[in-house]
Amino acid sequence: MPSEPRAPGSLSAPLYLLCVALVTGLAIATIMALRPAFAHKVLEMVGLETRQQAASGSFYAVRVAPLFAQHCISCHGENRAKAELRLDSYAFALRGGRHGAVIRPGEPAASELMTRITLPAGDDKAMPPEGKTPLSPDDVTVIRLWIAAGASPTLPPSAIKGAPRLVAEVTFPDSNPAATRRQRAPLASVMQQLSARYPGIIVYESRNSADLELNAALRGMAFTDADLKAFLPLRGRIVLMDLSGTAVSDASAETLAQMTALKTLRLTNTKTGDATVSALASLKSLRSLTVTGTGATKPALASLSQRSVAVHGDGDAD
Amino acid sequence: MQTDPATPVSAEHVRVWDAPTRLFHWSIVALVFLSWLSADQGYMRVHLWSGLTLLALLLFRLGWGLLGSTTARFSDFLHPPRKVLAYLRTHARGGRVLHAGHNPAGGLMVMALLAVLLAQVLTGLFANDGLKFSGPLALLVSDDASDRLTRVHGIIFNTILVLVWLHVVAVGFYHFVKGDNLVGPMVSGKKHRAHVPEGVTIIFAHPALALGLFLASAVVMAWILF
Repeated sequence: MPSEPRAPGSLSAPLYLLCVALVTGLAIATIMALRPAFAHKVLEMVGLETRQQAASGSFYAVRVAPLFAQHCISCHGENRAKAELRLDSYAFALRGGRHGAVIRPGEPAASELMTRITLPAGDDKAMPPEGKTPLSPDDVTVIRLWIAAGASPTLPPSAIKGAPRLVAEVTFPDSNPAATRRQRAPLASVMQQLSARYPGIIVYESRNSADLELNAALRGMAFTDADLKAFLPLRGRIVLMDLSGTAVSDASAETLAQMTALKTLRLTNTKTGDATVSALASLKSLRSLTVTGTGATKPALASLSQRSVAVHGDGDAD
Repeated sequence: MQTDPATPVSAEHVRVWDAPTRLFHWSIVALVFLSWLSADQGYMRVHLWSGLTLLALLLFRLGWGLLGSTTARFSDFLHPPRKVLAYLRTHARGGRVLHAGHNPAGGLMVMALLAVLLAQVLTGLFANDGLKFSGPLALLVSDDASDRLTRVHGIIFNTILVLVWLHVVAVGFYHFVKGDNLVGPMVSGKKHRAHVPEGVTIIFAHPALALGLFLASAVVMAWILF
């Protein structure tokens, strides 16, 4: 390589590098001033800022975060942070985006987030944008109340009054008629016989299920211990049994103890008592028992209550 | 190819860069800035065309690196790592090594920038903005893959920023510390004789070849997309 003596420029290398450091620092500071989200990232990186966590069970965690997760974080989350705004954690939500804070604690009217989610559909700035699932009026109210209450990370749900009731999302399993038919096949002949002998008493729980419900209450005292015994071939499938007002007695205790799929049992105004209650102790699936007007006593019912079985009727016979 | 020995254009200056290489360099500067600005402000149609033009230019540069003028060719500035290290060591000791075109370290920077820019425009073809805009080839991949490539697109942009910073700092170093102005020649094409090795011969390719290559690149780009 041809080489020549150095022709010096106007600065020494250390001085130049110092200038570079100063200019770079100044540029980063300018960007930090113009882009708050970037500023937070830098401050966090150098340990001058920590991320504030929301308390589990807080109004934010229970009511607000799920709304952000459902409607916002596909565009304002870890994978994509449009306008440098992330809503996938309390800290990120409070930091805001490219143009600064979008949530002003205590001031919903001054919060950009509220402005955006209340714009009419079709407005270019409305959030969520066209094509995404919009927030319901109740959802908007929840967010407004949270901001108005100070956008707290710890305030419990009970501390914010007036929030619409939390409605649990209910999902139904996909219908699979072929699978249901297969499950019902072994029961078909017994079901045919019992349906002919006891019309309207035994039915499937739903059209997508092979589980059964037995309702003998309408037959009243005509339904006896012997009749109940006739349903033993279906013991693995009967999940609900209403024997209210029938002639069933403690003599059926052993029969009931074999109904292993039973979740709900109603014995209102029957001649059952502690013997039946004791027999039910072996039913692991049982979740609800009604004993109003029976001979069941509190001590006998206590063991069921301890197993989280909801006992209706307080064992007055005691 | 037109042969044009590096005859001085004046007593003090020598022509070192051809017009297509200079035009490419400053077009890339403008288009990278435009691509950032348009994405930042949400003008995604502008972003699309800016990116597509970048793609055509990069394809052109790959061809020009094989068929273009001496100083534009990869063979002129692609050096093995030991040569790059030797060059940097010479500079660190205060020595000076003259090159008509890119020096070995500069050549490495050129290749790095070309690689990340190419990766950037290619990932952009499959990216989406999560709203109403998708890259022209985004439908060829799954939504998940498009989202992943969008994330990579963002990461590569930060890499570009770092490389551009390094490039500018290095050019400033040559200017302010070494007294070697690299920006002027990339504008005028001419370099001061004192900064060009004695007896070097530069062969300049005909501009029509550059035009043909660019048109061919545009056609290849259009063929890929449409």
